[in-house]
Amino acid sequence: MFSKVFKILHHPQINTPYSLEDILKTDAKVDFLVIEGALSRSEKILSRFGYSFKDILDILSKKAKYIICAGSCASFGGIFRLQNEAKIFGALFSGKEKGGFWFNNSKVINISGCPMHPRWFVETLLKLHYGDKLSLDEYRRPKEVYSYLVHHGCLRNEYFEWKVDCKDYGEKEGCLFYEHGCQGPMTHANCNKILWNSVSSKTRVGSACFGCTEFDFPRLALYETKKHMSLPSAPYGISKRAYYSLAGVAKGFKIERLEKRLIDENN
Amino acid sequence: MKITKEIIQKIEGEATLELEWENNKIDYAKIKFLNFRGIEKILENRPFLDALLITPRVCGICNTSHIIASINAIENAYVNMGIKIDITKKAKRIREFALNAEKIQNHIKWLYFSILPEILKINGEDESSIRAFEGKEWIKSQKACATILKAMSIFTGQWPHGSFCMVGGVTCDPTQGDIYESMRYIEEVEEFCEKEIFGLSLDEFISFETSIQIKSTNGNLKKILEVLVDKNLNHMGKSYDRFISFGNNSSLKNPKKCEATRVLNADINYVGESLLNSFFEPNGYTYSKSAIYKNRYYETGPIARMMIIKNPLIRDLHKRNKDSILTRIIARISEIAHLILKSKNLLKKIDIYQKSCISPNIPYDSLTSVGVGYCEAARGSLIHKVEIKQGIIKSYDIITPTVWNLGNGSRENPAVAQKAIMGLTSPNDADLVFKAFDVCAVCTTQ
Repeated sequence: MFSKVFKILHHPQINTPYSLEDILKTDAKVDFLVIEGALSRSEKILSRFGYSFKDILDILSKKAKYIICAGSCASFGGIFRLQNEAKIFGALFSGKEKGGFWFNNSKVINISGCPMHPRWFVETLLKLHYGDKLSLDEYRRPKEVYSYLVHHGCLRNEYFEWKVDCKDYGEKEGCLFYEHGCQGPMTHANCNKILWNSVSSKTRVGSACFGCTEFDFPRLALYETKKHMSLPSAPYGISKRAYYSLAGVAKGFKIERLEKRLIDENN
Repeated sequence: MKITKEIIQKIEGEATLELEWENNKIDYAKIKFLNFRGIEKILENRPFLDALLITPRVCGICNTSHIIASINAIENAYVNMGIKIDITKKAKRIREFALNAEKIQNHIKWLYFSILPEILKINGEDESSIRAFEGKEWIKSQKACATILKAMSIFTGQWPHGSFCMVGGVTCDPTQGDIYESMRYIEEVEEFCEKEIFGLSLDEFISFETSIQIKSTNGNLKKILEVLVDKNLNHMGKSYDRFISFGNNSSLKNPKKCEATRVLNADINYVGESLLNSFFEPNGYTYSKSAIYKNRYYETGPIARMMIIKNPLIRDLHKRNKDSILTRIIARISEIAHLILKSKNLLKKIDIYQKSCISPNIPYDSLTSVGVGYCEAARGSLIHKVEIKQGIIKSYDIITPTVWNLGNGSRENPAVAQKAIMGLTSPNDADLVFKAFDVCAVCTTQ
């Protein structure tokens, strides 16, 4: 479907019909400019093919109808912003703050994630192509993807509900939210709905969600759960009072089934 | 003397070749990687486990190699502090399986993105069949890559950037059904490779002992061999004829080097990094460092691995063509067959009833140590070194395969790819020689 609808004019790595110079020189308009990687206005930090990246973007952004920021680096600055936070940023945001390479640019759509899921990208482009409605959240991310939380569809949900911690890595049981840094309940993405590579996800193989679609990725101490007064933060959009009251009640019960192995072959 | 600049396109990242010409021959070549991202610095002052998440982001195409090298370095730091790390066979097999799957898709992508377009061009053939997103062959190769990554993601959660490694093992705990499903995907990829690349069954192919046997097959491998021989390119791109591979897998347990055909033990402690010509030194012109072993340059990658394990087919090609692009290219393609068969074998041997992870029973912040970890990535040996103080990273050093092969030496003592390029007579030849190394600029300028 993708290859029937879209024509890739240029890609730096794969075998495409036009060179970057062809695209820079032409007067023709393009539908999409896709940006990968953190941006900088400094020629010393970022140049490509003998041009400063700023010059390349100034030219290409005018030709494009939409600018798609593919991934968290292009959206927020991501990991590489940490090298020089003053000079490296995303297209519209520097971390949480508005103002990256551009302060305002209504053409920009962010598809954050490290990496971005290919379906998020393709489906966004298809919507724009067909003129279907595309609602964006406050970080200019498609709502259809980023209204979900990674927590939705996690196979360990029951352990979360009953506050059963994961005892060690490499087991099917237990929730990684309490001690192992899982950000699933506060990370916007539909990973556990559509799955990765169509087959799995981080939490399905017993690793934590590290919040890679959010502006603060990568947090410090990724494998630890940050706590205040020995309590983890409340899930996204749930008040502390609601969450801690419910958690307290759930924790008060010992659910025998959830203390056992999921597949108990001896019993 | 004339100086020309060639921007090498269609590789991961960007590199510039600056060629100095004398009597229509390349007299010297500078290889420039001009973008710097500073991952090693970003890691400083973070808890050491953060390296497991951050180092894979060095490279979108070799991220599994980075998490494996990183976990090996961290586990080595535990061992150096006197803390025993037990890793079950199950966890070891899952790690190696994931690494293999990543190598397979790397080699297939390199073959269809970088090498086949060049070969068709050289042969004056229409390249529309491998044009990205359109060509029939291109689409088939992409499907094979996606499929091998499914086989892997069953254990790693996702590709790229799965976080399935943890101190003492892996985080996943597959069921037997998961293993069957993964096998089903590998068999699909095997079928693609048999039909399109090798033109016969992989079992038959790996039994080949001479390159003449390839002539009886019917796939892209044969095509590449024939075009390179027909166009007299089979002796092009020779370098030092010295190879190194640090292994750490079921095919090669310990570090070895190979001087022409003689295989000797190697020791990780003799690996050094030269900053010569890098921006970290005065008058430097590249962000790439150069890796050296006892102050000498060695080539790493599939050709090195095949020479070291004495693969008969590659040894035969080497006898006739030494370390030319022909041997280098055929070695990389051949490795796909070996990796697929090895991976099937690894899958069959996974015992789901073993533990996936045995975490060492000490708090993270009590770790003060240094560790070195390495593994074989698609393009060659990858080394990570970490220094940890009370659980916090003091320094982190990454030596990628590309800095072995594509470093910059001096006119008198050129690095591996520089030597392979010197003496060539056209920029197109230089481009092909360069691509035969499967250049990855992003790895180099982490």
